[in-house]
This record gives sequence, structure tokens and C-alpha cells, in this order.
Amino acid sequence: MPKITIDNRTIEVEDGVTLLQSCLDEDLEIPHFCYHPAMTAPANCRQCLVEVGMPRVDRETRERVMDEDGNPVIDFMPKLQTSCSMKVADGMVVRSHRTSELVKRAQKDNLEFLLINHPLDCPICDQAGNCPLQNQTYKYGPEGSRFEFRKVAKPKNIELGPRVVLDGERCINCTRCTRFTQEISGSHQLTIIERGVRNYPMTPPGVVFDEPYSMNVIDICPVGALTSKDHRFKARIWEMSQTPSISTTNAKGSNCVYHVKDNLVLNITTRTNMGVNEFWLADEDRLDYKKFNENRPDGPTVRGQARDWDAAWTEAATLLSGVDGARIQFLGSAHATTEDNYLLSRLAAHVGADTPSYIPHIEEGHGDGWLRTDDRAPNSQGCERLGFFPVDADVLKSRLSAGEIDVLYVMEDDPVGTGVCALSDLEGVKIILHHYHSTNATLPAASVALPAAMAVETVGTFVNCDGHAQRLRPAKAIRGVNRTLAMEVGKSRADLHGTPFDRWYTESNMVDCEPGWVSIPAIAERVGLNLSYKGPRAIMAELSDSNPAFQGATYDAMGEWGFRLDVVGQSEPHPQTA
Amino acid sequence: MTDFIKNPVVPLPDRMPDPVVAKDDLFFTEDEKKQIATWVSRYPTADGAVMRVLWLAQEKFGFLPPEAVQLVADTLDMPYAKVYGVATFYTQYFKEKKGTYVFDVCTCFSCQMCGGYDMLHYLEDKLSIHAGDTTEDGLFTVQEAECLGACGSAPMLQVTNGPYVHNLTREKIDALIDALREGNMPQFESVTLPQDENELGGNRRTDVARTTTYTTPPVSETVK
Repeated sequence: MPKITIDNRTIEVEDGVTLLQSCLDEDLEIPHFCYHPAMTAPANCRQCLVEVGMPRVDRETRERVMDEDGNPVIDFMPKLQTSCSMKVADGMVVRSHRTSELVKRAQKDNLEFLLINHPLDCPICDQAGNCPLQNQTYKYGPEGSRFEFRKVAKPKNIELGPRVVLDGERCINCTRCTRFTQEISGSHQLTIIERGVRNYPMTPPGVVFDEPYSMNVIDICPVGALTSKDHRFKARIWEMSQTPSISTTNAKGSNCVYHVKDNLVLNITTRTNMGVNEFWLADEDRLDYKKFNENRPDGPTVRGQARDWDAAWTEAATLLSGVDGARIQFLGSAHATTEDNYLLSRLAAHVGADTPSYIPHIEEGHGDGWLRTDDRAPNSQGCERLGFFPVDADVLKSRLSAGEIDVLYVMEDDPVGTGVCALSDLEGVKIILHHYHSTNATLPAASVALPAAMAVETVGTFVNCDGHAQRLRPAKAIRGVNRTLAMEVGKSRADLHGTPFDRWYTESNMVDCEPGWVSIPAIAERVGLNLSYKGPRAIMAELSDSNPAFQGATYDAMGEWGFRLDVVGQSEPHPQTA
Repeated sequence: MTDFIKNPVVPLPDRMPDPVVAKDDLFFTEDEKKQIATWVSRYPTADGAVMRVLWLAQEKFGFLPPEAVQLVADTLDMPYAKVYGVATFYTQYFKEKKGTYVFDVCTCFSCQMCGGYDMLHYLEDKLSIHAGDTTEDGLFTVQEAECLGACGSAPMLQVTNGPYVHNLTREKIDALIDALREGNMPQFESVTLPQDENELGGNRRTDVARTTTYTTPPVSETVK
């Protein structure tokens, strides 16, 4: 491993990586715009300049020349070098802005150049507060500009595609967005057009920037040139809390950050996890946040009448204990956490019912082999690993029509809405339903409806399609006060920008719902089963000990980046279809 | 600002005009393809030949409408966006229909000091168009150009990406336009260096017939 000296500090670095990357790996900041670790380095922003020297080598003996003190003589390159395109070599000596006035001056002057035609409309720019150009100008830039002339005007507020808006004037032509379409997504929908001061990214004529990963360019844009059409002007970055969690749109479980203000999820952006989604997030994951805010139910109901939680749980327990276990059908959920599904299976076993099934949410042809999958639910794999089988709609329907089912217990799903059965099939069947939305199509038939906390409001574990178990962290508060949740809300908010503006403690927008790991133990207690755990952490600890399919997946092991579970054998065929 | 409030988002401009080149004419002939293949063979990847092929397309179709850019991209198996980026980078590729003769009048520093704008404005007045426009008969386009590398013979202009006209005067412009109306393109002309002025009658070159002797450039009226 080559040793290099940066600012009088000698470090060992990986061979073959660029100087900039090895500095970043060592937490040595070097300002840069165009460099992105996943893409080629064009070295066109000129911000990462450093002084680079190599030890002088004697041409005859091929040995390093030493000075009187026995230190190698260093020959510095005559000009500053872009560290993003410079590969490390053994003995390399680097002076960054920390030790070199020349580098400091170069960075300052370069920023003055970059800002010549930049509109400086930070007060109305969505990127402000989260903008590398803004941050680095504050840190390394000049105090003012000497450019007193009219700036070049370029197209503004252009809808590049259905989800991305371009402001040409803010662009500093780092080409990250065009390289993303060329090297990462391969859609080739963007290019830099024109030249000199007039250039900016654009689609060629007749092409719309509509690829399913288009919004990644918003994240990688180091200025506010590319902004989200959906999130534009909705909230400033410092007004929202940022909670690292995972997305729920598909079975990939891409890592993301939920931006929440006043208990409303306002934006979803990507979170780097090299084991799952690397730096990227599909557009569908980013835009799928309204479901957390809209049409949420307001407290439990019994046969359509609003009741308090106690009464609803008692009613559910009465329904369960009134019938023979074989006549109860439990439906787990690929939308619910592994912990909740596990509790449900324990409850089902206690009342003598079959192992729960779950409703599959497969949409053939939707997946693309990258971050989108055919499976539109986040935790099918978790259900499978618990031994649940996908529900067979025909079998369920025939059992319903044969009157074999008295009670249907549906957890966090919608059998009518997904077409597994029709409302008419459910006549005479008592239904206990944990639901997310007041638009749930099964709701009209429900005897007991228990609003459930969604993925952004609960603590739990999803297992993605590759068997990667990952933790959910609560991003917004719910009305059901719970010590575990309150603690997790506090712990999980990295508060990147430390915000007093997110008034999550106010009652407005708090949904009156309970997580499965509160509701199910409450019902279980009323049918004589003790399911009280010290929060989902304890449930997962038990599961990781007792179930080989979850071996090792404790909350500590999952941490921020998740835990790759062992591959389990092909599940046996469904007993009801076999 | 009011514009912005009314239209916070501008739809992507439709830059897809009705196709100029008919579908049946949109191809390279076998000879052209052979020529392209030789160009491609000179470079490690086919991308290298993109400028020559774009030029070929411009000569064939007169300018580069989107469908011609697409044809070049398909021929070289390159992304359409990349070829379009190249085409817009160079002002010598015409992205829209121009006049038969395009005057690129240099208004960069040297020419500006020596009357480049005087010449540009004279041309504009004479042809009754603004810089960037084309005359109604479709014969002439006038546009401003950045430095064309002939500062020694400023002010100057270039005719349709071809020959330069050096040491411009109003009379020269009149004569040039008259000649072009009759279909006579100016000849290639070389200007000698100042240090050659006193030798060989001001010219050491063998192609004497097509060279002119260096003269001290005039000073712009607007600068005087």
C-alpha cells in the first residue's frame, strides 16, 4: 500500500485510487464539485487543486535522492494538479489548502470564476442550505466579486422532464448529471449544449428527461440547477428533520432519508448504502411520500363507530376468542414489519389458527434488475422467512364462499383493494383490520378497524429481495404516546441541519394510530397470551436467536447499513395449493 | 418577477420542427458510408469521427436539423444526446437553416478596435437585417463571430465557413456582395506577415497570386 504525505501527515492509502478519494476517505476535506465516486472524473470544475510532489529519483541508480538530513528531496510539479484525476503513488507529497497559500488562493479565485455568472439567488433557491457551492464559497471563497457587469442569461425554470426542473443560470457545468445518464443509468438523455459561458445541460431536441431514475441528478447536482418539480418551494432544507430509513415502494429496500416537517413527510432523498442501492434511488421511491400524509384514519372504529383503543382491542379479542381457531384466517402483510408479522404468527398459533398468509403485491414487468422490482411491497422476503405463504386468492375465495371462515384477521393490507376477494365475498365474515388509510377498500366490511402506524412512524425490520435485513426508523410522531417510539424518534434524527422549525411535538398532523407491536400484544393479552416485549428491538433479538432464517439480525448488527441474512432453502409448496 | 409568479415552470421548449429532410432522403449513400468508414478507421473508437461525419451531413443537407443529427448518431452508433452536444458546441455547424452565404463578421478585440462593428453595422444596413438574421431572398446571413485568428488583417469576415475576406472596407463589402450575387465566391487569400513587408515586394511566398501584402490596419471610427 503506497504511503503518501498530506499536509505533513503521512497516511497509508489504497493503491489505484485517486488522491481526492483517498483524502476524503481519511476525512480530509478537499473542496470539489464535479468529482463523484461512482463516476469518471472529468476534472472540469478545477476546485480540487492541490500541490503535488514526488521524491526525486537518481536516474542512474533509480534510488531516491536524500538531502543532508536524510529526507527525500521532493520535486513539486510546476503547476497545481486536480486531485480528482491524480492517482496516488508511493512517496507522494501533497499540500492542500491547509498548508499551501497557493492552493488557498487558487481555490478562492476558482470560486470567483464559478460565481461570475451564477445568479446568487440563494434566498429563493431550493438547494440553499444543502448546497456544496454555497458551503464551499463560505469556507474557501472570496468575500465579494469583482465582476460588475451584466451576467449571462440562460433558460430558467425549464421542465426538463416530468420530475426535474432546470435553472440554466445556476449551473456550473460540472457535468455530473450528464455523466449520470451516460455512465450510471445509461439513458443518454442529457448533454451539455452550447459552449463557453453559454453552456448548460439540456436534452437533445425531441427528448424528454423522463427516465425512471431522473431525480438522482437532483441529489448529485452540486448547485440548485436541477431541482425537484414536486418539492420545489415546498420547504427549506433546514425546516425539515432528516431521518435515515428505507424506502417502501418496492422489495429492494433502497436506503433513503425522510424529510419531515410538522409530522408531514415532504421529501425523500437517497442515502448511500453500498450494500443495497449505492448512491441512487428510483423516482418512484422519492415520490411515494403522500401516502404517509393523506387519507390517514383518525382512531379505531368498531363496526364503523369511533371507539377508544381499549374498547377496540377488547372487541377484537372477543371476536378471536368466540370461534374455533381453524375458522380464523390470519393475513400477515408484506407492508408490515417482520416484528409485527412475527407477533401475528404467535397470536395465530395461540388461537389455534393456521400460519398466516400474506397478500403478494407482484406487478409483472415493473422491475428492471436495478432498484425497481416486480414486487411492490417492501417486506415479502420477511414474511417468507417467517414461513408465511402468499395467499392463494382462489382458495381463499372458495373457503369464504364455503363458509369455512368466520373471522378474517387482516394486518396492514387491503384484500378487497388488491383484488384478493370482493366485498360481497366477505358478507357474514367478521373482519379485524389493521389499516393505513381511510380509503382502504376492506374498511367498510371491517368489524374492528385499528389504524396502523406506517413505515415512517414505527420501529421495525424489513428484509429486502436480496435478504438484506434493514431497520426502519420513525421519522414522524403519532398520537399514540409510546416510550420506545419517542426514544427512537429522538435517536434516529441525525438533524443534519439542527432544526427548531420542525414542530413534530404539536398535535396537528399526528395520526391516531398504533404500531403493530402495540396493537397485537394488546389483543393477545385479552385472549390470554403474553406478548409483551420491551419494544421491537427485543422481538428481533428473540427472532434472531430462535429462527435460523433471521440468524444474527439483531438491531445492533443491522445498524445503519443493514445485515445480509443467510440464504434460506426454497420454501416448500403452499399446503393449500399442493 | 411577475413572469416567474405567473409561470414558475416553463415547459421544455419544443425544438423539434417539422422535419426538413424527407425520410426517404435521410441516409448516407454507399460512397459516403465508405468515406465514413475510412474516417472511423483512423480513430480508436467510432466517436472520434463524429465531427467529420457531422460536417459531411451539413454539406449534404445544408444544415443540421435534429433528424440529421440523429442520422449521424445512428451511423456512428453513438448516443444522440452526445452528437447533439458536439453539434451545438461548434458554431460552424448550423443548427438552423441559414442563407446561401453566411457572413461571420469578427467582432472580437482586434477587429473591434479596427472597425469590426462598423463593418457589421454597414452589412446590417446594406442587407436590411440584424445580425443573426437571414435576408428574405435566403441569400445572405449575417452573424457576429468571435476571433477567427486573423487579427493581423482586421477587420475581417468569413464567408460560409470558407474563405476569409481581409482588411474589410465598405467598398470591399459592396464588391463582395455584388460578386456573391453573381455566384462568385471569393478566392482563398493569404496575408503576409508584417516583417515581410520590405522583402520581395512584400511577399516571399510562392503562391503570390493568392496573397496580399500586410497593411497596417485602420482604426475603428467608433474608437477614433
